[in-house]
Amino acid sequence: MRVDREKESAAERKKRFERDALQYMNQLYAAAMRYTKNPEDAQDLVQDTYAKAYTSFHQFEPGTNLKAWLYRVLTTTFINTYRKDQRRPQTSDSELEDWQIAEASSHTSDQGKSSEDVVLENLPDSDIKNALAEIPEEFRMAVYLADVEGFSYKEIAEIVGVPAGTVMSRLHRGRKQLREKLTDYARERGYVKGGAQ
Amino acid sequence: MSNASCENCRESLVLFIDNEIDDSATFNQIAFHLQECEGCREQLETERRALNLIRTLLTRSCCETAPSTLQERIAHQLHEIQLQELAGYTQTEIITQYRRTEITIDGETQIEIETSHEIRRDFPF
Repeated sequence: MRVDREKESAAERKKRFERDALQYMNQLYAAAMRYTKNPEDAQDLVQDTYAKAYTSFHQFEPGTNLKAWLYRVLTTTFINTYRKDQRRPQTSDSELEDWQIAEASSHTSDQGKSSEDVVLENLPDSDIKNALAEIPEEFRMAVYLADVEGFSYKEIAEIVGVPAGTVMSRLHRGRKQLREKLTDYARERGYVKGGAQ
Repeated sequence: MSNASCENCRESLVLFIDNEIDDSATFNQIAFHLQECEGCREQLETERRALNLIRTLLTRSCCETAPSTLQERIAHQLHEIQLQELAGYTQTEIITQYRRTEITIDGETQIEIETSHEIRRDFPF
Protein backbone atom coordinates (compact mmCIF):
# COMPACT_ATOMS: atom_id res chain seq x y z
CA MET A 1 0.00 0.00 0.00
CA ARG A 2 1.37 3.38 -0.95
CA VAL A 3 1.77 5.81 1.88
CA ASP A 4 1.99 9.52 1.28
CA ARG A 5 3.97 10.59 4.31
CA GLU A 6 3.56 14.28 3.51
CA LYS A 7 -0.21 14.15 3.71
CA GLU A 8 -0.49 11.59 6.48
CA SER A 9 -2.01 12.92 9.71
CA ALA A 10 -0.49 12.18 13.12
CA ALA A 11 -3.40 9.85 13.90
CA GLU A 12 -2.93 7.97 10.64
CA ARG A 13 0.78 7.65 11.26
CA LYS A 14 0.17 6.28 14.75
CA LYS A 15 -2.26 3.75 13.35
CA ARG A 16 0.23 2.68 10.69
CA PHE A 17 2.98 2.40 13.30
CA GLU A 18 0.81 0.29 15.59
CA ARG A 19 -0.22 -1.96 12.73
CA ASP A 20 3.25 -2.44 11.23
CA ALA A 21 5.79 -2.02 14.04
CA LEU A 22 4.23 -3.40 17.21
CA GLN A 23 4.10 -6.94 15.83
CA TYR A 24 7.87 -7.17 16.39
CA MET A 25 7.65 -6.53 20.13
CA ASN A 26 8.32 -10.11 21.24
CA GLN A 27 11.25 -10.46 18.87
CA LEU A 28 12.73 -7.14 19.95
CA TYR A 29 12.27 -8.10 23.58
CA ALA A 30 14.07 -11.42 23.07
CA ALA A 31 16.90 -9.55 21.32
CA ALA A 32 16.99 -6.96 24.11
CA MET A 33 17.34 -9.82 26.61
CA ARG A 34 20.46 -10.94 24.74
CA TYR A 35 21.84 -7.39 24.68
CA THR A 36 21.13 -6.35 28.27
CA LYS A 37 20.99 -9.80 29.94
CA ASN A 38 18.20 -8.84 32.34
CA PRO A 39 14.41 -8.39 32.02
CA GLU A 40 14.23 -4.89 33.57
CA ASP A 41 16.78 -3.32 31.22
CA ALA A 42 15.39 -5.30 28.30
CA GLN A 43 11.92 -3.83 28.91
CA ASP A 44 13.30 -0.30 29.22
CA LEU A 45 15.33 -0.79 26.05
CA VAL A 46 12.34 -2.00 24.03
CA GLN A 47 10.21 0.87 25.34
CA ASP A 48 12.89 3.42 24.40
CA THR A 49 13.26 1.76 21.02
CA TYR A 50 9.56 2.10 20.24
CA ALA A 51 9.51 5.71 21.45
CA LYS A 52 12.44 6.61 19.19
CA ALA A 53 11.12 4.60 16.27
CA TYR A 54 7.71 6.28 16.57
CA THR A 55 9.23 9.76 16.81
CA SER A 56 11.21 9.22 13.61
CA PHE A 57 8.74 6.96 11.84
CA HIS A 58 8.16 9.68 9.21
CA GLN A 59 11.75 9.02 8.09
CA PHE A 60 11.17 5.35 7.53
CA GLU A 61 10.74 4.61 3.85
CA PRO A 62 7.54 2.54 3.52
CA GLY A 63 8.08 -0.70 1.64
CA THR A 64 11.66 -1.13 2.89
CA ASN A 65 12.64 -3.53 5.65
CA LEU A 66 10.85 -2.33 8.79
CA LYS A 67 12.13 -5.16 10.94
CA ALA A 68 15.76 -4.32 10.09
CA TRP A 69 15.04 -0.64 10.73
CA LEU A 70 13.60 -1.41 14.19
CA TYR A 71 16.61 -3.59 15.00
CA ARG A 72 18.85 -0.72 14.00
CA VAL A 73 17.02 1.60 16.40
CA LEU A 74 17.21 -1.07 19.13
CA THR A 75 20.92 -1.70 18.62
CA THR A 76 21.85 1.99 18.36
CA THR A 77 19.83 2.79 21.48
CA PHE A 78 21.51 -0.02 23.35
CA ILE A 79 25.01 1.01 22.29
CA ASN A 80 24.44 4.71 23.00
CA THR A 81 22.45 4.47 26.21
CA TYR A 82 22.70 1.21 28.03
CA ARG A 83 26.31 0.49 27.38
CA LYS A 84 27.65 3.99 27.86
CA ASP A 85 28.72 3.69 31.46
CA GLN A 86 30.04 0.18 31.42
CA ARG A 87 33.51 1.16 30.22
CA ARG A 88 34.30 -2.36 29.31
CA PRO A 89 37.16 -3.13 26.96
CA GLN A 90 36.00 -3.41 23.38
CA THR A 91 36.84 -6.54 21.50
CA SER A 92 39.28 -5.37 18.93
CA ASP A 93 38.32 -6.94 15.65
CA SER A 94 38.31 -4.08 13.21
CA GLU A 95 41.90 -4.49 12.13
CA LEU A 96 41.66 -8.15 11.29
CA GLU A 97 43.87 -9.29 8.50
CA ASP A 98 42.39 -11.21 5.60
CA TRP A 99 44.09 -14.40 6.65
CA GLN A 100 42.51 -14.14 10.09
CA ILE A 101 39.11 -13.71 8.53
CA ALA A 102 39.74 -16.74 6.33
CA GLU A 103 40.95 -18.63 9.38
CA ALA A 104 37.82 -17.65 11.26
CA SER A 105 35.53 -18.72 8.45
CA SER A 106 37.12 -22.09 7.86
CA HIS A 107 36.69 -23.59 11.32
CA THR A 108 33.23 -22.60 12.44
CA SER A 109 32.05 -26.10 13.08
CA ASP A 110 34.95 -27.03 15.36
CA GLN A 111 35.11 -30.19 13.24
CA GLY A 112 31.60 -30.83 14.60
CA LYS A 113 31.04 -34.48 15.24
CA SER A 114 27.53 -35.75 14.78
CA SER A 115 27.67 -37.63 18.10
CA GLU A 116 28.38 -34.29 19.77
CA ASP A 117 25.39 -32.71 18.04
CA VAL A 118 23.08 -35.16 19.75
CA VAL A 119 24.29 -34.29 23.23
CA LEU A 120 24.18 -30.56 22.55
CA GLU A 121 20.56 -30.94 21.51
CA ASN A 122 19.81 -32.28 24.98
CA LEU A 123 21.14 -29.22 26.77
CA PRO A 124 18.46 -27.27 28.64
CA ASP A 125 17.49 -23.83 27.28
CA SER A 126 19.12 -22.15 30.29
CA ASP A 127 22.55 -23.53 29.30
CA ILE A 128 22.13 -22.31 25.75
CA LYS A 129 21.15 -18.81 26.90
CA ASN A 130 24.05 -18.74 29.36
CA ALA A 131 26.54 -19.91 26.74
CA LEU A 132 25.39 -17.15 24.39
CA ALA A 133 25.54 -14.58 27.20
CA GLU A 134 29.14 -15.56 27.93
CA ILE A 135 30.58 -14.78 24.51
CA PRO A 136 31.71 -11.18 23.81
CA GLU A 137 28.93 -8.72 23.10
CA GLU A 138 29.92 -7.95 19.49
CA PHE A 139 30.02 -11.65 18.67
CA ARG A 140 26.77 -12.31 20.50
CA MET A 141 24.92 -9.62 18.53
CA ALA A 142 26.23 -10.92 15.20
CA VAL A 143 25.31 -14.52 16.00
CA TYR A 144 21.87 -13.59 17.27
CA LEU A 145 21.05 -11.33 14.33
CA ALA A 146 22.23 -13.89 11.77
CA ASP A 147 21.21 -17.20 13.26
CA VAL A 148 17.99 -16.33 15.07
CA GLU A 149 16.70 -13.37 13.08
CA GLY A 150 18.09 -14.49 9.73
CA PHE A 151 19.53 -11.12 8.72
CA SER A 152 22.14 -11.07 5.95
CA TYR A 153 25.70 -9.86 6.62
CA LYS A 154 24.85 -6.60 4.85
CA GLU A 155 21.73 -6.04 6.95
CA ILE A 156 23.67 -6.77 10.15
CA ALA A 157 26.36 -4.33 9.03
CA GLU A 158 23.70 -1.61 8.77
CA ILE A 159 22.04 -2.57 12.04
CA VAL A 160 25.27 -2.61 14.05
CA GLY A 161 27.08 0.10 12.10
CA VAL A 162 30.22 -1.76 11.10
CA PRO A 163 31.56 -3.01 7.72
CA ALA A 164 30.25 -6.34 6.38
CA GLY A 165 33.72 -7.88 6.65
CA THR A 166 33.72 -7.15 10.37
CA VAL A 167 30.28 -8.74 10.68
CA MET A 168 31.60 -11.84 8.96
CA SER A 169 34.56 -12.23 11.29
CA ARG A 170 32.44 -11.53 14.41
CA LEU A 171 29.82 -14.00 13.28
CA HIS A 172 32.25 -16.78 12.49
CA ARG A 173 34.25 -16.34 15.66
CA GLY A 174 31.07 -16.00 17.69
CA ARG A 175 29.63 -19.24 16.33
CA LYS A 176 32.87 -21.04 17.06
CA GLN A 177 33.06 -19.73 20.63
CA LEU A 178 29.40 -20.53 21.21
CA ARG A 179 29.92 -24.08 20.07
CA GLU A 180 32.91 -24.41 22.42
CA LYS A 181 30.87 -23.05 25.34
CA LEU A 182 28.02 -25.45 24.58
CA THR A 183 30.47 -28.34 24.52
CA ASP A 184 31.82 -27.18 27.90
CA TYR A 185 28.28 -27.18 29.34
CA ALA A 186 27.67 -30.65 27.94
CA ARG A 187 30.91 -31.81 29.51
CA GLU A 188 29.97 -30.32 32.90
CA ARG A 189 26.71 -32.20 32.76
CA GLY A 190 28.55 -35.39 31.98
CA TYR A 191 27.07 -35.65 28.48
CA VAL A 192 30.53 -35.62 26.92
CA LYS A 193 33.45 -37.66 28.13
CA GLY A 194 36.88 -36.14 28.63
CA GLY A 195 38.25 -33.20 30.56
CA ALA A 196 38.70 -29.61 29.49
CA GLN A 197 40.68 -29.16 26.34
CA MET B 1 34.15 -23.41 -16.23
CA SER B 2 37.21 -23.18 -14.04
CA ASN B 3 37.27 -25.22 -10.89
CA ALA B 4 38.03 -24.01 -7.37
CA SER B 5 40.78 -25.70 -5.36
CA CYS B 6 39.93 -27.62 -2.19
CA GLU B 7 41.59 -24.83 -0.24
CA ASN B 8 39.50 -22.11 -1.89
CA CYS B 9 36.40 -24.19 -1.46
CA ARG B 10 36.88 -24.85 2.25
CA GLU B 11 37.61 -21.20 2.96
CA SER B 12 34.31 -20.27 1.37
CA LEU B 13 32.12 -23.04 2.76
CA VAL B 14 30.51 -20.98 5.51
CA LEU B 15 29.86 -18.10 3.14
CA PHE B 16 28.40 -20.62 0.71
CA ILE B 17 26.04 -22.01 3.37
CA ASP B 18 25.12 -18.51 4.54
CA ASN B 19 24.30 -17.65 0.93
CA GLU B 20 26.74 -14.74 1.09
CA ILE B 21 28.77 -15.28 -2.08
CA ASP B 22 27.60 -12.40 -4.25
CA ASP B 23 29.95 -13.03 -7.15
CA SER B 24 28.20 -15.56 -9.37
CA ALA B 25 31.44 -16.76 -10.99
CA THR B 26 32.91 -17.61 -7.57
CA PHE B 27 29.65 -19.22 -6.51
CA ASN B 28 29.60 -21.41 -9.63
CA GLN B 29 33.23 -22.43 -9.15
CA ILE B 30 32.52 -23.57 -5.60
CA ALA B 31 29.31 -25.35 -6.61
CA PHE B 32 31.14 -27.09 -9.45
CA HIS B 33 33.99 -28.13 -7.17
CA LEU B 34 31.52 -29.53 -4.63
CA GLN B 35 29.97 -31.71 -7.31
CA GLU B 36 33.37 -33.11 -8.13
CA CYS B 37 34.98 -33.45 -4.70
CA GLU B 38 33.62 -35.84 -2.12
CA GLY B 39 35.92 -34.60 0.66
CA CYS B 40 34.70 -31.03 0.33
CA ARG B 41 31.10 -32.23 0.10
CA GLU B 42 31.53 -34.03 3.41
CA GLN B 43 33.04 -30.91 4.92
CA LEU B 44 30.09 -28.92 3.61
CA GLU B 45 27.66 -31.27 5.33
CA THR B 46 29.63 -31.08 8.60
CA GLU B 47 29.58 -27.28 8.51
CA ARG B 48 25.93 -27.17 7.56
CA ARG B 49 24.97 -29.55 10.35
CA ALA B 50 26.92 -27.48 12.89
CA LEU B 51 25.27 -24.25 11.78
CA ASN B 52 21.80 -25.76 11.69
CA LEU B 53 22.31 -27.07 15.20
CA ILE B 54 23.32 -23.63 16.50
CA ARG B 55 20.33 -22.04 14.79
CA THR B 56 17.94 -24.66 16.12
CA LEU B 57 19.23 -24.42 19.69
CA LEU B 58 19.21 -20.62 19.73
CA THR B 59 15.77 -20.30 18.18
CA ARG B 60 14.41 -22.87 20.61
CA SER B 61 15.75 -21.16 23.72
CA CYS B 62 15.79 -17.44 22.92
CA CYS B 63 12.09 -16.81 22.45
CA GLU B 64 10.89 -14.79 25.44
CA THR B 65 7.51 -13.10 25.17
CA ALA B 66 7.27 -9.42 26.06
CA PRO B 67 5.44 -9.07 29.40
CA SER B 68 1.94 -7.59 29.16
CA THR B 69 3.09 -4.70 31.36
CA LEU B 70 5.60 -3.75 28.65
CA GLN B 71 2.88 -3.76 26.01
CA GLU B 72 0.83 -1.44 28.21
CA ARG B 73 3.80 0.83 28.86
CA ILE B 74 4.48 1.16 25.15
CA ALA B 75 0.84 1.80 24.27
CA HIS B 76 0.71 4.49 26.95
CA GLN B 77 3.94 6.07 25.77
CA LEU B 78 2.86 6.23 22.12
CA HIS B 79 -0.31 7.93 23.26
CA GLU B 80 1.69 10.46 25.29
CA ILE B 81 4.04 11.22 22.39
CA GLN B 82 1.08 11.72 20.09
CA LEU B 83 -0.54 14.13 22.54
CA GLN B 84 2.70 16.10 22.69
CA GLU B 85 2.87 16.16 18.89
CA LEU B 86 -0.70 17.38 18.63
CA ALA B 87 0.13 20.11 21.13
CA GLY B 88 2.88 21.25 18.78
CA TYR B 89 5.69 19.92 20.88
CA THR B 90 8.53 18.38 18.98
CA GLN B 91 11.44 16.57 20.48
CA THR B 92 14.33 18.95 20.09
CA GLU B 93 17.40 19.48 22.09
CA ILE B 94 18.83 22.95 22.50
CA ILE B 95 22.55 23.03 22.82
CA THR B 96 24.14 26.24 23.99
CA GLN B 97 27.76 26.72 23.16
CA TYR B 98 30.02 29.28 24.75
CA ARG B 99 33.33 30.39 23.35
CA ARG B 100 35.72 32.15 25.63
CA THR B 101 38.70 33.96 24.23
CA GLU B 102 41.39 35.27 26.52
CA ILE B 103 43.93 37.68 25.14
CA THR B 104 46.72 39.12 27.24
CA ILE B 105 48.64 42.09 25.86
CA ASP B 106 51.17 43.91 28.04
CA GLY B 107 49.76 42.50 31.23
CA GLU B 108 46.24 43.53 30.37
CA THR B 109 43.82 40.70 29.98
CA GLN B 110 40.83 40.90 27.75
CA ILE B 111 38.19 38.26 28.01
CA GLU B 112 35.65 37.81 25.30
CA ILE B 113 32.73 35.48 25.72
CA GLU B 114 30.69 34.54 22.71
CA THR B 115 27.42 32.74 23.01
CA SER B 116 25.87 30.82 20.19
CA HIS B 117 22.70 28.79 20.22
CA GLU B 118 22.24 25.75 18.16
CA ILE B 119 18.98 23.87 17.92
CA ARG B 120 19.34 20.27 17.03
CA ARG B 121 16.93 17.37 16.83
CA ASP B 122 17.45 14.83 19.55
CA PHE B 123 16.60 12.04 17.18
CA PRO B 124 17.27 10.62 14.48
CA PHE B 125 20.44 9.06 15.64
